[in-house]
Amino acid sequence: MKKIRIIVCAKQIPDPEAPLSDVSVDAENKEIVVDAPQVINPFDENALEAAIQLKEDTDAKITVLSMGKKVSDTVLRKTLAAGADELILLEDNAFEKLDSHSVACVLADAIRKIDKYDLVLTGRQAGDWDSGQVGLILGEMLSLPCISLARDIRIADGSVAVKKTHPEGYERVRARMPALVTVSNEVGELRYISRTRMLKMLRGAASISSWNSEDFDVACESLMKAEVVELLSPSDMGRDCRFIEGATADEQAEKLAAVFMELR
Amino acid sequence: MNEVLILGEVRAGSLDKHTLELLNIGKNLASDLDGGLFVVLIGDGLLAAAKEALSYGPDKVFKVEHALLNNFNADFWLESLEQAVKQINPKILLMSHSFIGMELGPRLACRLDTRLTTDCIDLSINPARGPGEDGLLLRTKPVSGGNAISVFKCQGVPQMATLRANVYKPAKTADSQGEIVDMAPEIDESIVRVESLEIVKEDVIALDKADVVIAGGAGLGDEDGFEILEDLTRVLNKSFNNVMIGCSRVAVDKGWISPDHQVGLTGTIISPDIYVAVGISGAIQHLVGMVQSKKIIAINPDSGCNMFKVADYGVVEDYETIIPLLAKKLEELS
Amino acid sequence: MSPSRIMYWKIEDIWIFYVLAALATVIFLTGLAVHIRVWKKSAGCLDIPFSKKGLKRTILDTFSGRRILQGEISAGIMHLLLFWGFLSLFIGTSILSVHHYVISFLKGTAYLVFSLSMEVGGIMLLAGTIWALIRRYIQCVPRLEKRLEDVLVSVWLLLAVFSGFILEGLRLACHQPSWGAWSFAGQWMGGLFSPSMAEAFYPSFWWGHAFLTLSLIAVIPFTKLFHIMGAPVSIYTRESVSPVIPDIKDGPGEFNMEFNLGDLIFFDSCMRCGRCVASCPSAGAGEPFSPRDFIQAMRRGLWQKHFPSGDIRFLTRHEESKMDESFWYCTTCRACLEVCPIYGAAFEAIIRKRASAMEDGVRVPKLLNQTLEKIFNYDNPWESSRRQRGAWAKGLDLVDLTKKGAKAELCYFVGCTTSFDDTAQGMARSVSKILQIAGVSFGILGKKEPCCGDIARHLGELGLFTEQMDNCLELFNKYGITQIMTSSPHCFHTFRNEYLKAPFKVRHYTMVLRELIDQGKLFFKKGIKADVTYHDPCYLGRYNRIFDEPRQIIRMIPGVRLVEMGHHGADSLCCGGGGGRMWQDLDGDAKMGEVRIREAEATGAQILITACPLCRIMLEDARKATGLNETLQVMDLNELVLQALEGADAQKNSNPDKNGIYSYKEKQK
Ligand SMILES: Cc1cc2nc3c(=O)[nH]c(=O)nc-3n(C[C@H](O)[C@H](O)[C@H](O)COP(=O)(O)OP(=O)(O)OC[C@H]3O[C@@H](n4cnc5c(N)ncnc54)[C@H](O)[C@@H]3O)c2cc1C
Ligand code: SF4
Ligand code: SF4
Repeated sequence: MKKIRIIVCAKQIPDPEAPLSDVSVDAENKEIVVDAPQVINPFDENALEAAIQLKEDTDAKITVLSMGKKVSDTVLRKTLAAGADELILLEDNAFEKLDSHSVACVLADAIRKIDKYDLVLTGRQAGDWDSGQVGLILGEMLSLPCISLARDIRIADGSVAVKKTHPEGYERVRARMPALVTVSNEVGELRYISRTRMLKMLRGAASISSWNSEDFDVACESLMKAEVVELLSPSDMGRDCRFIEGATADEQAEKLAAVFMELR
Repeated sequence: MNEVLILGEVRAGSLDKHTLELLNIGKNLASDLDGGLFVVLIGDGLLAAAKEALSYGPDKVFKVEHALLNNFNADFWLESLEQAVKQINPKILLMSHSFIGMELGPRLACRLDTRLTTDCIDLSINPARGPGEDGLLLRTKPVSGGNAISVFKCQGVPQMATLRANVYKPAKTADSQGEIVDMAPEIDESIVRVESLEIVKEDVIALDKADVVIAGGAGLGDEDGFEILEDLTRVLNKSFNNVMIGCSRVAVDKGWISPDHQVGLTGTIISPDIYVAVGISGAIQHLVGMVQSKKIIAINPDSGCNMFKVADYGVVEDYETIIPLLAKKLEELS
Repeated sequence: MSPSRIMYWKIEDIWIFYVLAALATVIFLTGLAVHIRVWKKSAGCLDIPFSKKGLKRTILDTFSGRRILQGEISAGIMHLLLFWGFLSLFIGTSILSVHHYVISFLKGTAYLVFSLSMEVGGIMLLAGTIWALIRRYIQCVPRLEKRLEDVLVSVWLLLAVFSGFILEGLRLACHQPSWGAWSFAGQWMGGLFSPSMAEAFYPSFWWGHAFLTLSLIAVIPFTKLFHIMGAPVSIYTRESVSPVIPDIKDGPGEFNMEFNLGDLIFFDSCMRCGRCVASCPSAGAGEPFSPRDFIQAMRRGLWQKHFPSGDIRFLTRHEESKMDESFWYCTTCRACLEVCPIYGAAFEAIIRKRASAMEDGVRVPKLLNQTLEKIFNYDNPWESSRRQRGAWAKGLDLVDLTKKGAKAELCYFVGCTTSFDDTAQGMARSVSKILQIAGVSFGILGKKEPCCGDIARHLGELGLFTEQMDNCLELFNKYGITQIMTSSPHCFHTFRNEYLKAPFKVRHYTMVLRELIDQGKLFFKKGIKADVTYHDPCYLGRYNRIFDEPRQIIRMIPGVRLVEMGHHGADSLCCGGGGGRMWQDLDGDAKMGEVRIREAEATGAQILITACPLCRIMLEDARKATGLNETLQVMDLNELVLQALEGADAQKNSNPDKNGIYSYKEKQK
């Protein structure tokens, strides 16, 4: 069987699990300040896991594409440690804070430069802007069949078969490759990468290339930045909690039942 | 061309609840713009739904009908919608941040070469400032899992956004002087690139329809915890309509309950009348899914947990003690 | 005629016997060689350094059977009978050969003594075998399995010995020698046959007996009987092979060997006695795990990998080798090592197995995956932030050693769980207050305190462990820390025994308290009237042999009476929190903590004392789960000590008795 070439788009973001107390909003500079280490967007990790699982079943080559103004290869080398074959970093000052459309544009041009591919995988959304657009726009730009919210991906006879999340359960769909699939967390968490494996990847030679806007043909007329008019702290979600107390749990239950009756 | 176009969704023959929310915000925007409010419906046999839509007072309801559009298929729908929008040429195009909107929104925006903002909680019209800026849509959207709220402004025509469910009130019926316009899309089998083989129905529940949600989290300790919640649900069903079970992602991860019960950023976003959080700590990703609920009751032995900070009522107690007692008391009262 | 034996009486074609004997020896030796070859192949070497200690222990254990006696007297005696019976018959037969082929000396008194010892040896072996069968099949001792191999090997042995007695009886029945009474059992047996019958039967019984014994010898390397050879080696190699901690500076890739030589010899020598199963808290709570099954699966895996025809133990080779995920169940409590007759540390092998699972990554359960990521990113398994680490100390006015100019003699290393968990934070506060009362100059590391590496170490994430070790050493060095006190026995053990170098002195807080009491810096004015029971944390007790200090402290508090649980000291039952189990969602019939708390309840004590944050949390949780809220309170030792120093608030209302002792019962009301 011929080698399947899979491209996974992965983005580096501040750890979205960071507690509320470590996130602050710099309204002046319209920036979110997160005091947390950089990680790979969890949904992109799911996409990578899906790709690695495919590679375990079929002969496949996985290329990870990551774009940003500055991309830390210490973070992204994790993808190689996990089983990707090649990492391409798209770094350029011009790639800072782009809107989803422009991000997709840059990725599309990079993918065109890569030229040969069968499957493009992205996460369903990124944990920083929660937009959920890049994958699908990318599919349109490359004129690929687009499948969103995949929870299971298989490849057979030049087609990709996907179980995608559906309001009533899931839908089984199929498309000819090349195709684009956005991946949801149901496919499973990225396998654990031990520190020794990671360090080996950090110290050893790795197949990493770095492209800036001159290295490939960024054909988009003009890249647009996401224009933030205003950045606010979330309106105080806090409410005054009335604690229902009582000498015994029985008494508490009684009072709580009364609350329900009141709200009826 | 100062029109606001909304994509209506039809469920079981009538308009989806969230389409009504769109109609409400669409009307506000249209009046700010001094333009018309249009609705586009896609499907087959839409007359009843179109008439229903008309009763909310839009100026026009476009009925895009074709036998191939009967069920939602992204390829057919996208093509038809693209043709319709190009013809209607609205200033603003809105969709629900639903299964359909999430899929069509970004793809359509790309085809129309415009910019989309997804999952907005508020939309308004930018008071004209710079040249060519008049009438741009200001899109308010939670980012970073809800840790911040950002207001975006984008170029491009039409101005596109998808609206988060349950944030806006549904529109009320109004005098209908509008008209129904039929549109026939030019589509055929050949444009389909993703073939749908089957839809496997899982026993999924429509959490967003619930009036009361009893949600359990990691604090339940095990699968059996949900049985205790079920018992409470049964009792509450005597006094309330639509009482359902929700959960945090941890409960899903542990395999105690199916994903359709999950509330939160990656689950369902809901705003029921009463939300009871049992053994849920209140991580931000969970809060975004339920913080709009009218009344929130938290049950958790940890008085310091985050959930109490957003709750109206709190009980600091082990759920295994309090819930059965509560069910008993409610039984007596109802 | 002086007493002696006629060799090969009535046996013709004796060459057949020689051929058979040679064959048996060859099979036996080949089997032995195959074992050694497989060890060598899988470990890559056969380096067993000479150890006097090891040799001494091997000899003592082998000949006295003390390890087996310790655990269960009945099993110990049974084994002694088998061992000495078998040995004396073996030696006897060898002597007989020397007598026959080299110099004949078994005549007269010498023969009579020889004959008597053989008789006694035979009876011991017979009794041992029958006893073993009774234990396994009639008494049904729970830890003993009933596999085909078990019944076959025992019956084989039984037949071999029994046929020997019959043979002897037949011989005596024919010859009727005057010294027959020296072989009383044989003589009695001989009474059952007439001389003519005996003469007719003798040759066939002779051949039968010869065949049974020779084949039994031949089969030793191919059944669980191999432990006769393997067990002494395993006992000898224990400790001579140290745990693997990779030196990641030299680049990884040290993991191509999953197990070390010591592990392999241990796997290969395990005779499935099941002592480890009986002591394992996980198996005891009905979880689908047993150290024996793990060891056997590893043993089979070893053979399947390195021996062309698979498992050498031909009677068990068709059992499937369950290489599943069950190795995540072990809490690394060390109880199995306490009882294993061949000093097999199942948990150490399990950690090595985990280490290889960590390397391939796919088999790491999701929750562990997230926990380890958290430990790496935030230096603790609990919160995705470092910020709140010192928050428990608010209002206590403690020195932060990482601040400029801060100085203190002792560094209190709080530990992750004690820092972040609500229940455990109480321990940090109370121990700090005690140190303040005693006037000790101490400080904490606040936000900068790292994770000691215990979780990573025992989950087998050895690379992460090494990094954390380096972090800690660097930090201690930077702030000139040379004296450390920990709250958690886990941090204590890790610093003391797992760090490759430890240029500091580390003590668990129980040791510090004991010293302070001895120095007269702490004394109990108040007293508490209560019965308490003490739960030995695995990493304090079994790992570091600190059994007495905590008990001494408890006994010094006026009014407190210490009652022991069924399992205590080296025999203590794990709470279920160690070895990374706290961060996993694995379940059995009961929770380990629940089993333990029931045991505490049975003592009638009002307070269950422990000295570890993980135990504190697990047992508190179990107390809630079992609904023992009213009867039993879980406390850490330092919480009890603080109460005794201060007098708990709640006690202020009640009056002390004439000795100045408050009644604990009253406080409960
Ligand atoms: C990108 C992303 C998306 C996410 N999306 C979602 C989402 O959509 N929905 C979601 O829920 N999560 C989501 N999460 C996960 C989220 O961060 C939290 O991990 C999760 O919500 C925590 O669930 P929990 O409150 O049930 O568990 P925990 O945080 O473990 O809380 C358990 C609570 O139970 C309490 N408790 C313990 N025992 C008892 C008892 N006996 N009785 C009562 N209470 C008890 C404890 O005090 C504690 O407060 C997402 C995370 C990320 C990174
Ligand atoms: S260390 Fe403890 S939990 Fe692990 S196998 Fe041994 S007895 Fe069982
Ligand atoms: S590991 Fe040790 S205790 Fe366990 S069955 Fe084997 S020999 Fe017995």
